[in-house]
Amino acid sequence: MAEFFRGLINTLAVAAIPLVFVVFLGWGILKKVKVYEVFVEGAKEGFTTAVRIIPYLVAMLVAIGIFRASGALDLLTKFLAPVTALIGMPSETLAMALMRPLSGSGSLGVMTELMKVHGPDSLIGIMASTMYGSSETTFYVLAVYFGAAGIKNTRHAVPVGVIADVAGMLAAVWVVNLLFR
Amino acid sequence: MLNYIWISLIALGILAAAAGDVADEAGNTYRNGIPLDVRFEVAKHPSALRSTWEGTIVLSAGEFNMFYGPGAADSAVRQPAVISVDASGRRALVIAVGESSPLRWKEMARHAAEKDRLTASVESMKLSEDETAASLRMVMEPVRFVKLKAVTAAALDCAAAAVSISIGLIGVMALWLGVMKVGEEAGLLKFITRLLEPLTRRLFPDVPRDHPALAAMIMNIAANMLGLSNAATPMGLKAMEELNRLNPRLGTATNAMVTFLAINTGGLVLIPATAIAVRAAAGSANPGIIIGTSIIGSGCATVVGIAASRILQRLPRYRRGMEVDNG
Repeated sequence: MAEFFRGLINTLAVAAIPLVFVVFLGWGILKKVKVYEVFVEGAKEGFTTAVRIIPYLVAMLVAIGIFRASGALDLLTKFLAPVTALIGMPSETLAMALMRPLSGSGSLGVMTELMKVHGPDSLIGIMASTMYGSSETTFYVLAVYFGAAGIKNTRHAVPVGVIADVAGMLAAVWVVNLLFR
Repeated sequence: MLNYIWISLIALGILAAAAGDVADEAGNTYRNGIPLDVRFEVAKHPSALRSTWEGTIVLSAGEFNMFYGPGAADSAVRQPAVISVDASGRRALVIAVGESSPLRWKEMARHAAEKDRLTASVESMKLSEDETAASLRMVMEPVRFVKLKAVTAAALDCAAAAVSISIGLIGVMALWLGVMKVGEEAGLLKFITRLLEPLTRRLFPDVPRDHPALAAMIMNIAANMLGLSNAATPMGLKAMEELNRLNPRLGTATNAMVTFLAINTGGLVLIPATAIAVRAAAGSANPGIIIGTSIIGSGCATVVGIAASRILQRLPRYRRGMEVDNG
């Protein structure tokens, strides 16, 4: 069942982009749209959008880079580990939970390291990879998406993102402890 | 809120780095100025053509850790090195730090004056009788402010990385915006939006039906679920630009934007491909075992995120930002 599901999704993922091209452009031809001209017209905006997000991304990535390079995360991990141990979260995976919303490459590194040390099928290995799959790099997404719309006052977006991350990490800890402990 | 998070990341980072450097200095983590006795196995002697000694520094892990502290090396040290002699007879030793070097030296070499090269002055050198080995007493070049240097380097590197990420987006952005425009002109986006109207009306009540933002958001979420991040980001950015057209106060996030971001940062993926690939590479017996647990985790994150965006948008402090000035 799981294998079938995985095969199905993988096929869908491979076929999706060619399918979208065929359907969109084909539908355009059927509706007598001048597909080439319209495509170029739309594509023009790609440049301005990409350039517009630069300042937002610089601000965010520099702050996260400074935080990561300073070793502050290790201090935070030491500080929080006794608390998270109470809910069945090994301190090794706490570093993962703290890194996940900040940096995609950083959390990938933490996950790879944990698997090398503890093995991919250990409780820590399974928990770390579940955590990686349970969330997105929240602060990167915030910077890029709000950058595209030129949003500076983000209102409740940051608390919402952090609450969602905490929920995802707690759910990952709970379900992995339930199934694999 | 982002103001505070942003400044906290920077301030905490710089404070932690400075504190770490002070602690290193107080405890002399890098043993600045303290001589280290090592054995040097000679491979090449000075000759007519060459004025340097080439060979290998040999030290057991125990001796190395005794000098630098526990954890400085995880196996016996065999480090190739070159000793040169200058005109006044002073000997200097140069170590090219590589993969097999001890951990502490690798760490020091990252912040050395010349990257990946450590130097030391040789205080005394005693050759054995058959001249195949020597005992050296050397003092490594001082290493200071490692964390602050790392913070500076990270700031500069990340600024450059941000630009290359953005520039790298131009191609896929152009491609998908072109395709989307064709879909829009052909009426296909309207069709997709109508199909999923019952869902989008509840999630984004502020967005008028048939608005192009809805189609972009639907396609972004579908691409994310399939793990196609190359397609998801351009459509997500297009959705944000479209949502911004409905924004009464430019520069301030709307409710629909925050709900959309909650769905995106929840990261609902049907197949967490990266995690599975890393598990397989690490030799897992069943790399795909995390599919179910990840869906539960990201599902919880997404549902809680949507609920939180709905609840928080009603709080007075966040509503104030959205009131349009009628002055």
